[in-house]
This record gives sequence, structure tokens and C-alpha cells, in this order.
Amino acid sequence: MREIDILTEFSQKAGTEIDHKNIKIDDTTLRDGEQTAGVVFANDEKVSIAKMLDKVGVHQIEAGIPTMGGDEKEAIKRIAALGLNCSVLGWNRAVKSDIDASIECGVDAVAISLSSSDIHIEHKLMKSREWVLESVKTSVDYAKGFNLYVSVNAEDASRSDMEFLLQFARTARDAGADRLRYCDTLGILDPFETFIRVKNIIDIIGIDIEMHTHNDFGMAIANAIAGIKAGATYVNTTINGLGERAGNAAFEELIMALKYIEGVDLGFNTTLFRSISEYVAKASNRIIPSWKPIVGGKLFVYESESRFSGVLSDTKTYGLFNERDVGLDKKVILGKYSGVNTIIYKLNTLGFKISENEAEELAEIIRDKTVSLKRALFDSEIIDTYKSYKSRSTRSKSGKKGAKSDRSKK
Amino acid sequence: MTEAKSKRYVNIIDTTLRNGEQTAGVVFSKHEKIRIANMLDEIGIPEVEVGTPSLGAIEREIIKKIADEKLNCKIFAYCEAEPEDIEYAVQCGVKNVVINISASDIHIKEKYKKNRTWVINKLREAIRTAKQNNLNFIVSAEDATRADLEFLLKLISIARKKGAYRFRICDTVSKFDPFRTFLYINTISNAMNFPLEVYNHNDFGMATANGIAAIRGGAYSLVASVGGLGEGTGNAAMEEIIMALKYLENIELGIKTSKFREIAEYVARSSARAIPVWKAIVGTNVFAHESGIHADGVIKNPKNYEVFKPSEVGLTRQLVVGKHSGSHTILHKFKEFDIELTDKQANDILGLARSMSIDLKRPLFDKELMYIYNEYAKKKKKQE
Repeated sequence: MREIDILTEFSQKAGTEIDHKNIKIDDTTLRDGEQTAGVVFANDEKVSIAKMLDKVGVHQIEAGIPTMGGDEKEAIKRIAALGLNCSVLGWNRAVKSDIDASIECGVDAVAISLSSSDIHIEHKLMKSREWVLESVKTSVDYAKGFNLYVSVNAEDASRSDMEFLLQFARTARDAGADRLRYCDTLGILDPFETFIRVKNIIDIIGIDIEMHTHNDFGMAIANAIAGIKAGATYVNTTINGLGERAGNAAFEELIMALKYIEGVDLGFNTTLFRSISEYVAKASNRIIPSWKPIVGGKLFVYESESRFSGVLSDTKTYGLFNERDVGLDKKVILGKYSGVNTIIYKLNTLGFKISENEAEELAEIIRDKTVSLKRALFDSEIIDTYKSYKSRSTRSKSGKKGAKSDRSKK
Repeated sequence: MTEAKSKRYVNIIDTTLRNGEQTAGVVFSKHEKIRIANMLDEIGIPEVEVGTPSLGAIEREIIKKIADEKLNCKIFAYCEAEPEDIEYAVQCGVKNVVINISASDIHIKEKYKKNRTWVINKLREAIRTAKQNNLNFIVSAEDATRADLEFLLKLISIARKKGAYRFRICDTVSKFDPFRTFLYINTISNAMNFPLEVYNHNDFGMATANGIAAIRGGAYSLVASVGGLGEGTGNAAMEEIIMALKYLENIELGIKTSKFREIAEYVARSSARAIPVWKAIVGTNVFAHESGIHADGVIKNPKNYEVFKPSEVGLTRQLVVGKHSGSHTILHKFKEFDIELTDKQANDILGLARSMSIDLKRPLFDKELMYIYNEYAKKKKKQE
């Protein structure tokens, strides 16, 4: 079979309906998000974020790493005691003392993390495959003894030997683990590879799979979706994609992609997305880029004539959802790429009714101004520009007509 | 990753200077546009879309300047399917144009307020003008992923018959995931046997993945921009596409990637949009390690948490000391300062550094680490 035929077959399979009743979000803003170099949340912030995540509808919160002790443990205790609707999970190495710390925090679920790739086993853990399997078995046994929900995290799963990864998954399953977290720790898979590998594990081992994807090559969301299409039922997300290096799968992007591209509505309150993103942005001291998918402040700010002309009659001309769906506002600014429709609309919102002819002439003036200022105009500058144009044109009413704008017809 | 490099070639056309600049609020100066064109040429980007001639005299002057630079890359000007737009491009002295027209019914109805026949006539007219002026051209179908497939194929056959370089399929509203992109491109590619180019937006964070899917589906060329700069959420980021092709798909295009950070910085300054520290490939945080698990792994062997070397994209590795650091990072960090700590000292300092970092709500500067060390050493001395 040629590669293209295999991919076609997979893609067709991957196009089938997703059973959305089973898909659950396990948000790790408070664990992998905070683990990002340079990010520290205060305990009060952690509690606030946990409450927001619960309110918006996530199914599980990965609240932190209990074994770090001190403040971290305090925060997890507080979150576990909030009585949230969602499950609260603590992150652990495959070590009894880590799990004890989680139990002391009162969480109902634990993640037990261990690398499954030879490169990590050799160069980081400096152990053997047998040691890894034994550690999985004993730590899952131990946690299950306390009736905890157990996720076994296969760190660096995407660089693991598939045969060994299957053994790893089988060991976890047989020890009673509730799910396996498939970690593309370095973000090195594309969606097709992800689909094939995850499907393989599900078909052979039959354990619930959670996707943990990283964005090093811009594939985090696509790979999470590929995992879901292959049958994974959990996705590990973070608000704004906060996470080590290039970050994780962004919660808001995943939910909206599922809803608008895959037709899977998980029933989350999307109108809260912008406010949660803002809160996490402030707490992590990382502003939201204005072009950030879903929640960027300028996503519904229009300047160019071609986009605006379409959007004027219907927002859907240039997007699958509208600004209110995610708690943003629509705005029009004038700049180098603005034309007649944009200018008429903008001046109208500023209280001036102008003709098409006037807009044509103004387009040129505004374009020159923005090029020399190297930015779009402020509202006050637009008003000034219009007023001085108006007084000039009344003075020279009999004079020659201004040069026709090149874009006049559009 | 052990397989031999694929012999396959993928064309990249960069649109930083066109759709990048079209972003609301972004304006490049003449000097910046010329510089960016030169930078893209220097690293080996084969094709560059430099601007929209119909925007006026200033834009045309800039395009003419770039066309006169005698770059190795092919220079394209961007035109809507209007004879007038094509003539403006001719004035700029470019040899290649992109002729764009919307292909979806929603655009034809809501944007043009016309019908499909009008679209076909417009396209034919624009192509005629281009050919009369000896211009080479790409036909670009905006909102192609929401177009009626039959109609889209019709547009492609016109482009093919009239001798276009290739046909551009724009996923203007990010309608597809990679699987649908793959199927769509593969279907069209099989039906038409004509070079396809794919243009992606990032509305759901899948621009790069969709670009790669299109290549797997048989597309020949991808449209990208530096840092993903573009309208709305932006386009597929050039640096992500190149690195993903190289490391995920084994397609090596020979682009000089060590300049990626520098170009990204220049475009970021020119567009007044700082590079997020976590930006894939070129963000400064991509090679910063703080957590005990990761930093420890990287110290033992960078391969544990890095796929390529930081220098490959013009970055440097940093070990950050903060709340999540482990004692290995402390030992390593102080070794950089020429101070050999014992394990006990490293553990003590780690405790102090962690609580300071929690208090400050940020990682520590190197200076602050030294303050901690000095105070710690003083206290120890007193105790003795």
C-alpha cells in the first residue's frame, strides 16, 4: 500500500463522528502551566483559577505537585477542599512518598508520571525498562489501595519504542490504572502520526487515553484533535496554552475547534473565555497576544476593506463564530488597507454621514497618514482628518476634484 | 527520524509583506519592507509576495524598489481579479502576480453581491490583462474551503488552461482540521493534476498542521509569513512550517534557519508586535528550562528535552532558577559562576531560592542567586 493510500484511509476513518459524550477536559494550567520557566502563581490566584475552570465546565483540574511541599501543597489542599464539581488531581512521580503527599492534600485523583522513551530512561532516569515497568506497577498498586482515580502518564511517549509503550500501557492497565496519558512531551508528532499511534494503543490495550500535546512545531491543537479522532477520551489543556517551552494545547482553542470544526459541543460556557484568559495572563505575567486564536484582543478589529466589506453584512464571511461567542468586541479602525466601505462605516460610528465620493478622497489622505505614522489612526485623528478635509473641500468647492482613489470601486 | 531525508521539494511563498502587513494596525515603512524582502531572500525563501499595487502610489514605489533589488527569489505582487489592479502591478515592474478572487457562495453573495458567472468572467478578464502584459500568475481562490467543489474545479481548470503557475486554495476561515485538509487537497490534486498551493489561517491554532497536512495530501506549495503575521489570528508561521517539514516530515529545504530569530525580531519590531516568549521555534522561552524535571534532564543531556539545538534557530539555552527548580539546576548554575557547591549546600540554597521566587512571583536573576549564596555563606561562617 502506498503511503498516500494509507493516509487516505486513515483520514477517512478520522472523518467519522466523534462520540462527544465521552470527551473530558483535564486542565493543567495550575501544574504544567505553572511549571513554565518564569511563571509562579500566588496561592490565592491558584484558588481563583480553579474556581473559574470549574465554573466554565472542565471535568478535572490538575492542581499541582503535592510533593513540592510548602506553599504548593497548601494550595492543592485548599483547592481540594473547595467542593468543586470537577475532579481534582495531584501530579506525582512514580514514588510512594509523592503519592502520600497527594493523599494528604485530599485530592480524588492522581497522575503518576514516568518516562517511557529509551532516551529518557537512559539519559534522564539512568535506569532500565524493567525498572520503569516495576515502578509503574508498584505505584499504581499503591495509589489504587487508597481508592484514587489513577492516570499513568507516559512521558515522552512519542519518542518511545511502540512495543515497549504497549508493554508500559498493559502494565498500567493490569495494575488497575484508569487511564494512560499519552505525552508528546517535545511536540514532535504531526496529526497523522498521532492518530496512527494512539489508535494502535487503544486497539491493542483498550485503555482510556488522555492526550498531552506540546506546541513546539505548532501542532498542539491538531494533535489533540487527532488523538480524539483516534479514540482518546481525555485532553490535557491549559488556558492560553501556558506551558513549558512553546506551551500546551490551549483550552479555549481546543473547545472552539471541537465545536466549530468537528461539530462536538461540550457545552462549555465560551462567553467566559476572554475573562479567564485575561486572568491567567495577568497571573502568569504573560499578556495575551492581540492575535491569539479565540481570545486575542484584536481578532474582531477590522481595518482592511476586503475583510470589512464581507463582515459588514455577515460576520461569518470571515470567521466561523462571532465576537460575542467568546466575550470579545467588534471594532473598526482605519489604516493603510481601509477603503470606501470601511471609512463610511467608521465615520458613521463617530457621528458623521459621508458620501462615497468623500470616502474615496479620504481613503487616499488616510492611507498617506497611516504610512507616515506607521500605524492605524486614532479616532480623534480620524475626526481631525475628516474636519480639515471638509473645510478644504468647502473652500475649494469649484476647484478640481481630488485624485480618484485606486480602490474606489471596492 | 532515522529515515533518509525525503527528496521531495516543497515551495514556500512568504506573504509577510502582503497579508502580514494587511493585519489591522500593522504598517511597514518603505525601508522595512525592502529590508524584510532582502532578509527572506538571504535565508533562501524561494518566493515572496511583496505588496498590493492597487493600494496607491507609495505602495507601488516600494514594490518597484523591491523588484529592482535583483533578488534571487521570485517577487509577486498581489491583485484582486480586476484588470485595473493588474495594470498597477505592471507599473511596478514585477514579473509575477497573484490574482485573487473569492470562490465561495457566501463571499460571492455577501462580499461581491454577484453570482458565480460574474466570478468566472472577472477571473478571465484579469488573466487576459496579465497575459497581455507578459505577467506570470498564480490564481488564488479565497474562501476555497467553503466553495462548491464543482465550481472550484472549474476555476482550477481555467487557471490550468490559461497557463497559471499553480492554483492557491485559501482556507480563509480555518474551516478544516488536518484530516479534512488532507482529503480535500488529495481529492483536488487527483482530479486536476495541477500544482496546488495552500493558504491557511490560524483561527483554531491549526495553521501549521493544516499546511503540513496539505503537503501530505499532495500540495506543491505553502503560503506562510514570519511569526504567522496576518489578518485576524494570522497565517501559518514560516519558521514553524520550515522546521516542521524538516523535523516532522523529513523534508529539508536548505533554508538558513539560524537567521530565524533575527528575522522574527525584525518583523516583530516593524509590526510593533512583540514575539511572545513562548512562540514556537523562535520564542526566547523555548529553550528556557526551570522545572527540576526538565532542567535536570537537559543538564544530563539536551536531547532529553530538545529536538534541535538552540543555535539552529538563532537562540540560546537558559536555565532559570525558580519555584520549580531542583538541586541539579542550582549545582549547575553555580558551576557557571565558578562555585562548586556540595549537595547539602545546593539543597539549602534551593529551599531559599524557591521561597524567594514564590514571594517575588517570578524566577530569580543571577544576581539574586548570588545574594542568597553570600548571605547563606555568611550565616554558615558565623555558626562555625
